[in-house]
Amino acid sequence: MSDLSAPGFPEEEVRRRARAGAAAAFPPAEEYGHVLFGAGQPDATGRPPRPDALDELRIVPPLFLPQRLAKLIDLGREPDYRDVELATTIGGFASALPVYVSATGSTRAAGGDLGLALSRQAGALGIPMVIGENVVPVNGYGRLGEAADRTLLGRLRAYTEELPDGLGGVAVQQSTEDADAEVWNLVHSDPAALPLLESGRLAFELKVGQGAKPGLGGMTVLEAEAAAALGDRFGLDPLFGDGRVLRAATPGTFTAEILRQQIRLMRNNYPRVRIWVKLYPGRDVAEAARVAHEAGAHAVVVDGAEGGTGWAPGVFLPHVGLPLAECLRRLAAEPPPSLLVSGRIWEGARAVKSLALGARAVGLGRAALLAVAEDRESGLRRFTECLALELRLLISALGKYAPDALDREDVWSPEGFGITPGR
Amino acid sequence: MPDSTPLPDSTPMPPTDPGRHLTAPATRSALRVQQQLLSAAREFLRGRGFVELLPPIIGPVTDPGARGSKQVDIDFYGHRYKLMTSAILYKQASLLAFDKIFCIAPNVRLEPLETAGTSRHLAEFHQLDVEVAGASRDDVVQLAEDLVVHMVDSAVRELPKEFAELGRDPQAFAELLKGSFGRIRHAEAVAELRGIGHPQSAEAELDWEGEALLSARRDRPFFVTDYPKGSRGFYDREHPDDPGLLRNFDLLAPEGYGELCSGSQRTNDYAEIVTRMRETGENPQKYRWYLDLVREGVPASAGFGIGVERLTRYVAGLDAVWQASAFPKLAGVVSP
Repeated sequence: MSDLSAPGFPEEEVRRRARAGAAAAFPPAEEYGHVLFGAGQPDATGRPPRPDALDELRIVPPLFLPQRLAKLIDLGREPDYRDVELATTIGGFASALPVYVSATGSTRAAGGDLGLALSRQAGALGIPMVIGENVVPVNGYGRLGEAADRTLLGRLRAYTEELPDGLGGVAVQQSTEDADAEVWNLVHSDPAALPLLESGRLAFELKVGQGAKPGLGGMTVLEAEAAAALGDRFGLDPLFGDGRVLRAATPGTFTAEILRQQIRLMRNNYPRVRIWVKLYPGRDVAEAARVAHEAGAHAVVVDGAEGGTGWAPGVFLPHVGLPLAECLRRLAAEPPPSLLVSGRIWEGARAVKSLALGARAVGLGRAALLAVAEDRESGLRRFTECLALELRLLISALGKYAPDALDREDVWSPEGFGITPGR
Repeated sequence: MPDSTPLPDSTPMPPTDPGRHLTAPATRSALRVQQQLLSAAREFLRGRGFVELLPPIIGPVTDPGARGSKQVDIDFYGHRYKLMTSAILYKQASLLAFDKIFCIAPNVRLEPLETAGTSRHLAEFHQLDVEVAGASRDDVVQLAEDLVVHMVDSAVRELPKEFAELGRDPQAFAELLKGSFGRIRHAEAVAELRGIGHPQSAEAELDWEGEALLSARRDRPFFVTDYPKGSRGFYDREHPDDPGLLRNFDLLAPEGYGELCSGSQRTNDYAEIVTRMRETGENPQKYRWYLDLVREGVPASAGFGIGVERLTRYVAGLDAVWQASAFPKLAGVVSP
């Protein structure tokens, strides 16, 4: 330590790196499993985040409302916000809301009873849920006596037990490492998944990378003992120097042909299962979405570079990947019919803007986990009641009565985003 | 976990008492037919210079190309090993020792539960596996035809009493024994199925119902060739001048019995195999021994595997494939 200082320079960050070495590329390891990472936080130098282009948009109701007139004629009375019908289809599933629960994988933040409580509440709400990657290789499947609260089977059962008839569905991810554990084949041949399979409420989600760290694979922090149990299935990096290790999954290698053929093989091998494809916000997201749709994916999921439950290097969130709004802009020319998006969604406005820009539904990631953390029994239900009310209020204000009636005219930005020329 | 899955009423199921199955005259006859088929296959293949190998049962990796079925993991001194779902990787490797090999290989595939009722899936079964260095797809299509004709001819000639016991009229094979099995490309099969109102995908494996429909419209076995990429494992060679199609085939039995055999010309190019592994969602990391071998060079080859119980079922005219096994294992059904 010296008395040297450098005002205006990120001095403290430089000093942290000088003390901790490579570990300083990550947030403090003590925060792992307790802090959900994402955009919207001050950066390393304490500067507030730049405003997000999606948040900057305004929702702009018109004065003349032909769709409200149609609804009035239909109802024989003036419609109000309670007449907005939020039920929709999401990637081949019927859903009570244009909302699904995004993937939570093997990370500690989503582990234990939180993952189970989340599954139960999502099931009870009748909204689709994604079960994230690496759960089976890390926590087990659950058939051979592993602790049920962490396993894939545990989450699947918790969800299914609460699920109303005819609603919802589960999408199960499989990463490169999951492929070794044959997660999809396992679920596909398991008696517990049979009710979902037979009622058309099972999807497999092909994961093309990570929303929070585009170009990298999933990362978590493990105690040395837990890491040793994983053997050579994952890359392990002891960079924290305190016994804890970084577990890094590979991102997997894709080309247009690899993506196309993987989707075709999924359709070939699992003809009764819906196929979802999750894309990170890469610069060629529109081309990848087109390839996925043409190869027969039932849903294309775009995960904006906004946050996650795992562990991301500090340099990624503020610097890497397209913002969600830009993904939607690039997808606008040829949006896949069942486009699902996630990325810092928690209230009605961001959801309505995403739906207006072409999304069929929005995913709740950190919001769902926090809501369940607040109340294991009913947190997500109450949170969703509030979100649903906001959706109804906003959609009815636009003179519309269903989420899929929203379009780009419904939003405005100073830069002309979303405005069709001449309007 | 339940002991069994509900099945359609019409599906014949094995008796819960294995003794009753083993002592049934039909079982004895079916197993004798099976023995004759295998004995004839050995005679035929040895006569053509093939070497019979004993196939491995476990290994660090196995064939991922089995449609939607789960592999069985075993703990091999702390390493995750697999029971073989097919011998394909070892067949290619074995060509370093001999140019023409065959084996009668046990396979275990945890098939989806719904297959318990298809009459043509077993979770444990055997394949007559054949591989020929330097052969083309069309070479082994011809070989498979000659082999099946020889096997069936031998069974029909040697076992008239068994056929009588089974109520199987040997005249069912009159056309088969003339050879000249039909050949139809996958795209033509799709067109034929659509023509009779069956919505078959052009990009996928023929579905079970589609196979049965094609099979029921024919009087002798026939080959379906040139399946699209995305329907098979990474080892089937892609047509060099017709990308998207594979130089592979299935052999289907007539009378609605469906698929008997799958085969292909193999890809033995290292970079192509790694790329194709990714296209089939596989992690090349776990195929290390195989990829190291391929990188050093394994012979170009073609080959096939005939489902022994399925062929027996067809020849013996059995209602279900489990009747061609002494100790049948159906998906999800707990049995000896």
